[in-house]
Amino acid sequence: MSALFPPAANTIVRVAALVLLAAPIIAVGTLYAYANSPLYTGQHDQIEQVIQFDHRHHVRDDGIDCRYCHSSVERSPYAGIPPTEVCMNCHAQVWNKSPLLDEVRARYFTDRAIAWNRVHRLPQFVYFNHSIHVNKGVGCVTCHGRVDRMAMAEQVAPLTMGWCLDCHRNPAKHLRPVDLITEMSWEPAVNRDQLGKELMEKYDVHTRTNCTTCHR
Amino acid sequence: MKSPSDRVDEAGVDRAVEREFPMGAAETADGMDRRTFVQLLGTSLALSGLAGCPRAPPEKILPYTRQPPDLTPGNPLHYATAFATGAYATGVLATSWEGRPTKIEGNPLHPSSRGAAGLFEQASILQLYDPQRARLVKYKGVARAWKSFLAETRQRLDYLLEANRAAGLRFLLDPSGSPTVEDLRRRIAAAFPNARFHAYEALDRDNAYQGARLAFGRPLETLNEFENADVILSLDADFLQCVGPHLRHSRQFAARRAPGPAMNRLYAVESMLSVTGTMADHRLRLRSSEIQSFALELLSELVGKHRLGALAAIASALGQPLDAGPRAAWVRAVAADLARHPGRSSLVVGPRQPALVHAIGHAINSALGNFEQTVRFTRPVPLEAEAGSAALAALAAEIRDGRVDTLVITSRNPAYTAPANLEFPSLLSSIPNVIYHGWYEDETWARSAWTIPAAHPLETWSDARAHDGTISIAQPLIAPLFNGIPELELLASFVGEVDKNAYQILRESWQKKTPAADFEQRWERWLADGLVPGTAFSPERPSVRWDALNAAIRGAGKQDDAAPPGQRPLEVNFVGDYKVYDGRFANNAWLQELPDPITKLAWDNAALLSPATAQRLGLGQGEVVTLELRGRRVDAPVFMVPGHADDAVTLPLGYGRSGMEGVARGMGFNAYLLRHASAPWFDSGLTITSRGKHHPLAVTHDHWSMEGRPLALQSTLAEFQKNPGALDELRGPTETFHRPVDYDQAPHRWAMAIDLSRCTGCSACVVACQSENNIPVVGREQVRRSREMHWLRIDRYFSGPIEEPSVITQPVACVHCELAPCEYVCPVNATVHSDEGLNEMVYNRCVGTRYCSNNCPYKVRRFNYLHYTQDKPAPEKLMMNPDVTVRARGVMEKCTYCVQRIERVRIQSRIENRPIRDGELQTACQQACPAEAITFGSLHDQSSRVSRLHRDPRRYDLLHDLGTRPRTAYLVRIKNPNPELA
Repeated sequence: MSALFPPAANTIVRVAALVLLAAPIIAVGTLYAYANSPLYTGQHDQIEQVIQFDHRHHVRDDGIDCRYCHSSVERSPYAGIPPTEVCMNCHAQVWNKSPLLDEVRARYFTDRAIAWNRVHRLPQFVYFNHSIHVNKGVGCVTCHGRVDRMAMAEQVAPLTMGWCLDCHRNPAKHLRPVDLITEMSWEPAVNRDQLGKELMEKYDVHTRTNCTTCHR
Repeated sequence: MKSPSDRVDEAGVDRAVEREFPMGAAETADGMDRRTFVQLLGTSLALSGLAGCPRAPPEKILPYTRQPPDLTPGNPLHYATAFATGAYATGVLATSWEGRPTKIEGNPLHPSSRGAAGLFEQASILQLYDPQRARLVKYKGVARAWKSFLAETRQRLDYLLEANRAAGLRFLLDPSGSPTVEDLRRRIAAAFPNARFHAYEALDRDNAYQGARLAFGRPLETLNEFENADVILSLDADFLQCVGPHLRHSRQFAARRAPGPAMNRLYAVESMLSVTGTMADHRLRLRSSEIQSFALELLSELVGKHRLGALAAIASALGQPLDAGPRAAWVRAVAADLARHPGRSSLVVGPRQPALVHAIGHAINSALGNFEQTVRFTRPVPLEAEAGSAALAALAAEIRDGRVDTLVITSRNPAYTAPANLEFPSLLSSIPNVIYHGWYEDETWARSAWTIPAAHPLETWSDARAHDGTISIAQPLIAPLFNGIPELELLASFVGEVDKNAYQILRESWQKKTPAADFEQRWERWLADGLVPGTAFSPERPSVRWDALNAAIRGAGKQDDAAPPGQRPLEVNFVGDYKVYDGRFANNAWLQELPDPITKLAWDNAALLSPATAQRLGLGQGEVVTLELRGRRVDAPVFMVPGHADDAVTLPLGYGRSGMEGVARGMGFNAYLLRHASAPWFDSGLTITSRGKHHPLAVTHDHWSMEGRPLALQSTLAEFQKNPGALDELRGPTETFHRPVDYDQAPHRWAMAIDLSRCTGCSACVVACQSENNIPVVGREQVRRSREMHWLRIDRYFSGPIEEPSVITQPVACVHCELAPCEYVCPVNATVHSDEGLNEMVYNRCVGTRYCSNNCPYKVRRFNYLHYTQDKPAPEKLMMNPDVTVRARGVMEKCTYCVQRIERVRIQSRIENRPIRDGELQTACQQACPAEAITFGSLHDQSSRVSRLHRDPRRYDLLHDLGTRPRTAYLVRIKNPNPELA
């Protein structure tokens, strides 16, 4: 009578056991990696808009301050998407016949809102507040990247909770003087950590990491 | 004292068990059984991991085309406006998020509000978004254009004018003090010389004005200043909850409840236990019809024994002196106490009592020198001093004679609220042309030819007067959601102003009255402040006409029933409901679900009677009976209330609706069906027969007693001072296994203090919390299963004898334990502690094990058994507070100490680089509380109000022996009884 289990059976069982053990780890690991990858967070997605608005031109070429359009950033949780009126402040004078701006004019004169596609989407149970960050020295570029180099606005940071907490646990190296908040290309002349410490002192920065700081 | 079912019937235990473990508690509303549920659970668990994989759907951002100048997206704006219930307006501040009104708060500048807001004002926001409101102008049920209404009405008016100068044109309005309505009425009267105006309100104040007429010769408004009163006697006056400017009353009354020599003393004489009655230091329960004799006895005691000079003028009219007995002792003690406080006492008479009682009240107040001190007078706020059953009966008689051709109704639903004997609904059907301006397709709507949807107060411009005459300009916050027509526009259309909107009508009327060059600046100021300064009525200084009063008293005689208790015919009392008023708020789910302050009954009314009377009649809790009065019948469930007068039944009005309002329909019974125009408030000869059925009432607090545990504490001043250390075992450090947490480094140490001496149990805080925190309504069926979602509840306990109980109310929300039992048992860390001591709830982590709720000794955690917010009708979504997460099914939730407000104020103060000021931060419940019973703040600030209250000798902790170290402290209620009545 031949053996019930051939010699290879041992190997088969060992491999099978290993696979069974590893499968959940791999599965969870894959999910975790996926959840933090741009595939899921939507980083660097090029998001089409109905109006071909180019930040490069407005920020870099024209040197318009971020706050000219995103005017509530210092006072409100929301930075604010400019009312169409703000577009027309300039474009009633310049490029006022451009076919690229047909849609803007049409919307403005018929009082219909321009439906912009959201680029930075936080989950609905997150109550992020722009005003406190901007007033304590977190620059626009810190989270939004070099908007002055973006043809189409894109999300640079992962906007995951871990990413938020990294800074909330150690904010010093992300701070800058508040008068340079909208500067896209500012780099500290001195040691960044040293400056961060000084600014934390100066602006009385106390980051909080309680759940209800962001979730209510 | 256990719950009534335990006391009265033998099956009490079974029923208690049933309440604890209700049948079918595991079934969902649509009847899914446990097996299917588990199957689905398994499947959804297996799939739920995958559900997180797809990315969130893309979102749109829609900016303004032109952004309104004051508006910053993300920051709410507050507008001052006014809300009138009956004739009196209360100034309110409405919160608006990008054009969506979401919350109503009190206006601190307004004399009736002083920053507090009542149930009706706050809950009116839900009615604004009520999808069941009427939407279309209709003629005999067919939708028509507003323009065709105008054209056809014009034609008819021209015809009427020509026929007999419009003698057939009648208006039936809500009593109102609005100057612009007054203006329009004058112009309508000029245009239609024979047209007439009538006012009607089911909960009228006719008796009060008649009483003033009897005492002074003219109807006058009585204003009480309780802050000056050391001794208050209430005769059937629920001045802390229902009557007139109750928010102001509560604040003034509470200000004098601080223990010490300045503490006031309240005596209450009433039939049904009221909110005011629960606050009384001494309460005498009498049937409503006996209160007049009580007033006469008091009068004769004051005349006979205390020789009040002024009263001598009516001495001759009074009968024999007091006999013996406990009631006589009561009268003697009260009379002596009143006489000891001339100019510092106050006698308040409720609007349910006949005119004579009001007149006696005025006489006593006058003799005690209380005029100008605790009682003031002005001319009446409403244009008509008669707006009750008598006024409606007069109109009904004319309709019956066929003298009314066109009746314009802006009064609230008179077909429903009219006394049954007038048969008003069928009378309405007999009028050729009824024009009804109403909120809902209700009972009156069904019987009117032209029906016009009314605009909500937050949708239209108007003006109104407060209790003292102060005028508020009410401004809209949103364009009419359901095509509502403002009352001003309807009335203006009768004088041909069809092209003007309410704003133009109002402004023109005011511009005419204010010919100043700086009208524009003034107008802006009025709108910003919410009131027009200097418009309070000038005080009147009436004097009592002793002769007339003498004659009236002589004519009245002694009315007491001689029969001993238990054999007297049953008295029936009609009262306005605490929650739905006269029925106008019946379609408001917040108010329907709110437990009544006394009975703790939600979604229903019931025939209320004393346990002794129920026992005599052989009735059990919730037993359905047929009530018969003057040949009219209605079926109602019975509900026992300790402290109710014997041989009397109280029927709250406003339920049993048959209109098209989906929330109100089928809830409770209609007590108006028994109301008679000649006896609108109380009547005798009620018969009760059992139907042998049982109605499952939704009661949120069925237990009457504290079972000897120190939960809601009360004491007397003398007792408390005798033993000041008695509370030491209910506060201070306790032994614990747990490592103490160091809160000294945290920026704040949030804490709350609730002063039971001040809390009246009015429940304004509960609605404030519901509005602020997006708390869902669950419905009658779910409340019966104890699944109500209120984060803040008000417990109500009785102690002492069941006939004369002492009542105490206690607001309980999450007490934010420093050592929180809920946190130890959560398997997923969904409830955790913040460094500042908040017990935080993280909805996204919660998997719904409900361990935390089971381990919470205070029972303040609420679980979303069903997806209560899923089927929210579209308009109601606009009402949600965007600062607070709307919770889904399967998630635990509870009081957060309004953390969204903490964080907003924190961010603002951090931006401005300054500390949070004490009082800058108010929780929603604290803000609404008219009695200022709730205080919130940081314990780190030694001078903050909350710190001082935490150090108060009256402070104690709820369930202190458990060692949870709650951050919410309670302050013992101190009563101030009269030693002579001890």
